[in-house]
Amino acid sequence: MNQASEKNLDLMKSFAESYAKRTGTYFCVDPGVTAVVLEGLAKHKEDLGAALCPCRHYEDKEAEVKATYWNCPCVPMRERKECHCMLFLTPDNDFAGDLQSITTEEIRTLTAQG
Amino acid sequence: MSEATQVTDASFDSEVLESEVPVLVDFWAPWCGPCRMVAPVVEEISKDYDGRVKVVKVDTDKNPSVANKYGIRSIPTLMIFKGGQKVDMVVGAVPKTTLANTLDKYL
Repeated sequence: MNQASEKNLDLMKSFAESYAKRTGTYFCVDPGVTAVVLEGLAKHKEDLGAALCPCRHYEDKEAEVKATYWNCPCVPMRERKECHCMLFLTPDNDFAGDLQSITTEEIRTLTAQG
Repeated sequence: MSEATQVTDASFDSEVLESEVPVLVDFWAPWCGPCRMVAPVVEEISKDYDGRVKVVKVDTDKNPSVANKYGIRSIPTLMIFKGGQKVDMVVGAVPKTTLANTLDKYL
């Protein structure tokens, strides 16, 4: 599995960190989850031009990007703080950690073995 | 250590639909965080139910036909097949007990 480019990964990392702070949500207690999702978002950004949710299956990814519903932050997240990818977790979630940041190095290390 | 077999579009019918025992299918994708969380649970189930339930995995990115056929949307989706039919499903990174209780209904 190829990793995303530095540029797109940094873009998604910065977005996720500021969005978590803005919405009062936290990253998963398992940083491997955060890392995998950020790589997935960055790869979609690279391949499709938009950060389509990597935790769904689509029959047609290009069409989904245009529909925008599942482009991160998706509609369920924006409306109800529901992120089934477990990238943004509300503090009452059993899997919520206490961090709103992750280093690029951590992301690369945690996704390298795939 | 038993590891769940990866099943493809090509092998799905023979591995899943024609299986003599119930099959738990883990529909996953490489860049899905909760898939990573549920993977060890699926492995444990595979060991606990050895011989009684077959446990397999389908990478939805590489095998879109099967994923489309069964209407997979949110991943991970864990689907149970018995006698060639889909009989139940659980969506998301669920605890082991939830998965075990669902499976027990079909044994």
